[in-house]
Amino acid sequence: MEGFFQFSQILWQLVSNPTNLLVVFVASLLGIGFGALPGLTATLGVALLTTLTYGFDVSTALLALLGLYVGAIYGGSYPSILINIPGTAAAAASALDGYPMSQRGEGAKALGLITSASAIGTFIGLLMLVFIAPFIASVALQFTSFEFFLLALFGILISGTLTGEGGAVKGWIMGMLGLFLATIGRDSLQFFPRFTFDQPALDSGLDIVAVLIGAYGIPQVIKVLSDTSEVKSKASASFDSMKQGFASVYVGVLEAFKYIKHVVRSALIGVGIGAVPGVGEDIAGWVSYSAAKKGSKNPETFGKGNAEGLVSAETANNACVGGAMIPLLTLGIPGSAPAAMLLGALILHGVNPGPTLTTERPDFLLEITAIMMLATFAMFINGTILAQRVAKLLTVPATLFMPLVAVLCVLGSYALGLNVFNIYVMLPFGILAYCLIEMKFPISPLVIGFILGPMADESLRRALLVTEGSLFPLLQRPLAIVLLLIIVVMVLSQVPLINRMFKKKKVVF
Amino acid sequence: MKHTSPYKQHLASLAAFVGLALGILFFRHTVIDGADEFPSRPISHVVVWSAGGGTDIANRVVSAEMAKLLGQTVNVTNRPGGVAGSLGMSYVSQRPADGYTWVGISESCVTAGVMGGWQERMDIWYPMIIGGSPSVISVSSESSINSLTDLIAQAKQRTINAAAGGSGSIHHLNLLAFERGVDAPFKFVPFPGSAPAQIAAVTQEVHVVITTLAEQQQLISAGKLKPLAMLNESEYAFSENLIIPSAFVDFPSLSEHLPVFQSIGMAISDDAPDEVKALLSEAFTQALQTPTVKTWADNNYFSLSGRTGDAAKEEFARLESLFTWTLNDMGVTKISPEALAIARPDASE
Repeated sequence: MEGFFQFSQILWQLVSNPTNLLVVFVASLLGIGFGALPGLTATLGVALLTTLTYGFDVSTALLALLGLYVGAIYGGSYPSILINIPGTAAAAASALDGYPMSQRGEGAKALGLITSASAIGTFIGLLMLVFIAPFIASVALQFTSFEFFLLALFGILISGTLTGEGGAVKGWIMGMLGLFLATIGRDSLQFFPRFTFDQPALDSGLDIVAVLIGAYGIPQVIKVLSDTSEVKSKASASFDSMKQGFASVYVGVLEAFKYIKHVVRSALIGVGIGAVPGVGEDIAGWVSYSAAKKGSKNPETFGKGNAEGLVSAETANNACVGGAMIPLLTLGIPGSAPAAMLLGALILHGVNPGPTLTTERPDFLLEITAIMMLATFAMFINGTILAQRVAKLLTVPATLFMPLVAVLCVLGSYALGLNVFNIYVMLPFGILAYCLIEMKFPISPLVIGFILGPMADESLRRALLVTEGSLFPLLQRPLAIVLLLIIVVMVLSQVPLINRMFKKKKVVF
Repeated sequence: MKHTSPYKQHLASLAAFVGLALGILFFRHTVIDGADEFPSRPISHVVVWSAGGGTDIANRVVSAEMAKLLGQTVNVTNRPGGVAGSLGMSYVSQRPADGYTWVGISESCVTAGVMGGWQERMDIWYPMIIGGSPSVISVSSESSINSLTDLIAQAKQRTINAAAGGSGSIHHLNLLAFERGVDAPFKFVPFPGSAPAQIAAVTQEVHVVITTLAEQQQLISAGKLKPLAMLNESEYAFSENLIIPSAFVDFPSLSEHLPVFQSIGMAISDDAPDEVKALLSEAFTQALQTPTVKTWADNNYFSLSGRTGDAAKEEFARLESLFTWTLNDMGVTKISPEALAIARPDASE
């Protein structure tokens, strides 16, 4: 009770300063922009703001940084829903159901849904951070190389089973292709150059942003521009939705509470995954989406505009923010890439996150909580207002703004690191992705495979180095066995024969 | 309204054009001759390691103070990747040598050449050394190993896995020097940085970890890591109840191989104008004296060096020779240090 009183006092101090409110709202808006634009990421945004906010005091700087972080994870879903091009890897799972919804004329509602879902997700993440942080941190520290490998493998396989009409096998083929692409460059254990063909530009591997934009952006541009029938149907559907009024954003905002069961489950998944060091928002969306689909009474509606799927993916990636803060504040270990940036920013401001934090600055956890709450609030308000404006974009035929998206794709891949080589990677890769999609190969598992590839590759090889080539120690670790069992069951459930045997009894997970 | 003749219109536009041209000329003139007004535009500071790491934080803290002293914005970005920071260093070395692009480096960067990251040596830089944190060898707090003598005795009987950052990092070199000093073998398990290496020691995936005290302090305070010894000649009073002994007490032969000290710093191109170098050195020296930097160093188990100019160049040359030849003797170099004209370390080193 005393803690709550103290908390309200801190919150009041923050709110009563108009500069703080301005900072958090602007940062949140900036974050949504960073998330929505291909090529700009939450990590980059936090890094840029770190130096810009150096002159501010700690709480104002943190308002800016957390406001941007929360906003960016949310904003990545805008293009997912509107044009089927995720702004960040974290928002890829949101496109699966978000885009079909907007094609059905429910784009405004979808935007409303994700606004609520993201806000509640962040908020639940926050509650976990306050109440059970030490417990979660200790579980997250059970992860050794074997577990990291299995988690990465799980992420790749699960995204393979979820996407596409081609079935799980096609998804897995793409996942393996992604793994292969991830091996390009010097390997991080021994610096051995793999598939670099003596090209220095390939030494550090393919750039993740270039691959992301190529995989999602280019195929969608080609697809929309080559589809002549799209113009009429899409535009008319959107006009219908406009007639229903932009009130549908609010409908969406409120409707999210109908899915509260999914929201809570997804938030818990998000927090758990966010807390594991080095694993972040991108995988959380997929795991949560799969949990929603497996638990659903009608899994066949997923991928065709099921709001449950959208809400689940979107809640989890935002809950990750709170999760990533847990090891950061309790042990000084960042849980995700943007959290690593935050660690730098905190130390820069003389805050030393870790176990000594509670003795050095007893109020700090409450302060962070208040700051994150304000950041969530700013994201929610910004999101609700912005969603209405953005929903109008849907009334513009996609064919008209796709050329602009194409330019943004080129700019986005060049902007990160001002590297022309990234454009050379992005364009051919985009064309390859288009061909693969036409052949009914889902593209998301490839991207997830590429993102998680280094973790899978490195962790497995390191684990085998420690055990001198033996896989048996894996079976002595309870967490590894659990992960392994989940993977085995998931793979078996895709085999038609076994699937039929279990058809009568519903397999849950 | 009076009608203007076409002739007058032409004249007006001609005058405007000439004015504009003169303006541009004048502007360029001031920019080119404006070296005495350095810095007249924001400075870009490229750290070659990722954000939140030791090099990154030290650079951010110091360059923020320098920004205040110089009265100019310093934008810190990270450009990790390549070999031993080669991507970031190549990038900065290709920028104009005008002092507007700084590079944030650490001692590990001296290996970029021999590891095939780039074709340069460290002598292309004008370095300024912030300092470093001393190295410490630790085990998990749940480990049965309780002292350095314990550890060495066990290492002589069974395989002891040691984490020490990535291959060719300062921690790896400390491990190699340590192995030679105590005459016992360890199995090096590479991790992509200090943080994952330390977590691996906490989870007991590996038996021991060598990183810096700054990197381990939170895990030591949390009771997750048990420090065994400092890898230099002096003990360290970590807290009232915890004094970390020097490894040199039980193993005096270590003094022949250690310490290999961290040298985190920043640099500009050595081709930059002398007055720019002097100005930045001055700002750097002053920045290290500020209470902000001093408090930060104390709180973070960091000892400040402050060497600039020739002294800093000498230190980097010494590290370059030490690192590259050690790696060469390990047989992991892509290009021999000889090919880059790097001298072997003196026998006394």
